Amino acid sequence: MRKAVNSAFFVGLAMLGATGPAAAVGMPQLDIHTFAPQLVWLTIAFLVLYFVMSRLAVPAISDTLARRQAKIQGDLDAAEKANEETRALVAAYEKRLADAREEARRMTREQGEADGAAATARFNELHDRLAKQIGEAEKRIARQRDDVMAGLEHMASDIGRDVYAKLAGQPADQGALAGKISAAVRGGSR
Amino acid sequence: MAEMHNPMEQFEIKRLLDFKIGSLDASFTNSATWMVIAVILATTVFVYGMRQRALVPGKLQSVAELGYEFIAGMVRDNVGDEGKKYFPFILSLFIFILFCNILGLVPYSYTVTSQIVVTFAMAAVVFIGVTIIGVVRHGWHFLSFFAPKGVPLWLLFILVPIEVFSYLIRPVSLSVRLFANMLAGHTMLKVFGGFVVAMGLLGGWAPLAFIVALTGLELLIAFLQAYVFAILTCLYLNDAIHLSH
Repeated sequence: MRKAVNSAFFVGLAMLGATGPAAAVGMPQLDIHTFAPQLVWLTIAFLVLYFVMSRLAVPAISDTLARRQAKIQGDLDAAEKANEETRALVAAYEKRLADAREEARRMTREQGEADGAAATARFNELHDRLAKQIGEAEKRIARQRDDVMAGLEHMASDIGRDVYAKLAGQPADQGALAGKISAAVRGGSR
Repeated sequence: MAEMHNPMEQFEIKRLLDFKIGSLDASFTNSATWMVIAVILATTVFVYGMRQRALVPGKLQSVAELGYEFIAGMVRDNVGDEGKKYFPFILSLFIFILFCNILGLVPYSYTVTSQIVVTFAMAAVVFIGVTIIGVVRHGWHFLSFFAPKGVPLWLLFILVPIEVFSYLIRPVSLSVRLFANMLAGHTMLKVFGGFVVAMGLLGGWAPLAFIVALTGLELLIAFLQAYVFAILTCLYLNDAIHLSH
């Protein structure tokens, strides 16, 4: 449709040019004498522009765009790498922190166990010492009791001898009296 | 309105320096002047602007890169990897048309692309080049482009002439589209410019306001037509390379 309109327009233009013999009256575009210089200079201008574009501008721009792309990609890669390194550092830090925490817990536990063992040892030592002291005290008590008993026996035999002498009016048989008193005292003490 | 200029006068070719190469008239004209200015400006943006090749671009370098990436994306999307070879040509074509169109809006300048011979020459180069690429890549098989697949044989007798005609009309539609847009826009600006003068201080404001708005529209068209020319070149190239319909 558009093509048809355009071609009709073109034909109309040609007729317009044909009706006006003097180009100034019709369309200057249809003055054939101006075609050659226009085409010559169009060729020159366009070839120069094409040379400038294809040899100078396009390589310069594509090179710049490629370098910019490379730079951006490089920066992105570097940022990505830095990010990964940071993540690795954080992970290492957290691992060390966890290790340190674990170590601290272990040390606390071991210290606790060591403290417990030392306390037990001290307790046992104390217990032994106390037992020994108790034993010694008991021995001492037994000895003192024996001394007292011996004193008592002696006193009893004195009293018995005196009492016998008063009652019997004669001195007692020392050996028999001592044995009887001793037996009585010992039996009574049990 | 005797003092009012003919709106067609702005399209006249004026010879500034007469000279000939053999019998060929190669006079330097007002049109050639603005072609050269367009090339110099394009070189300024794309070579001077890129001189530092900075990783963080400046203003001019951003413009150059924007143009490059715009056309590179167009070629990549429409032609694919095989189009890379032709990218500098399509970029040059787009930049040349764009700069000529925009420079044409500068007062007292000349609009190179308002000449049918210029746009037709560019379209013809595209057409012939694309056809040669198609024939070289596909040989006789290139002719299958005119016979759509899966069509009954009897229909081909109708379809093939239509396809051939629509293929041959391509350079005409491509060139007339650009030429007619430039011609119509500039003629309209000139006509309303004449109204401003004719209606004087009291009534001239309305056409002046219209011209301001129209100039904005023409800037858009200047870009749009360069874009259309470039993308159609890409599509034709894609047809020739991939024989796709």
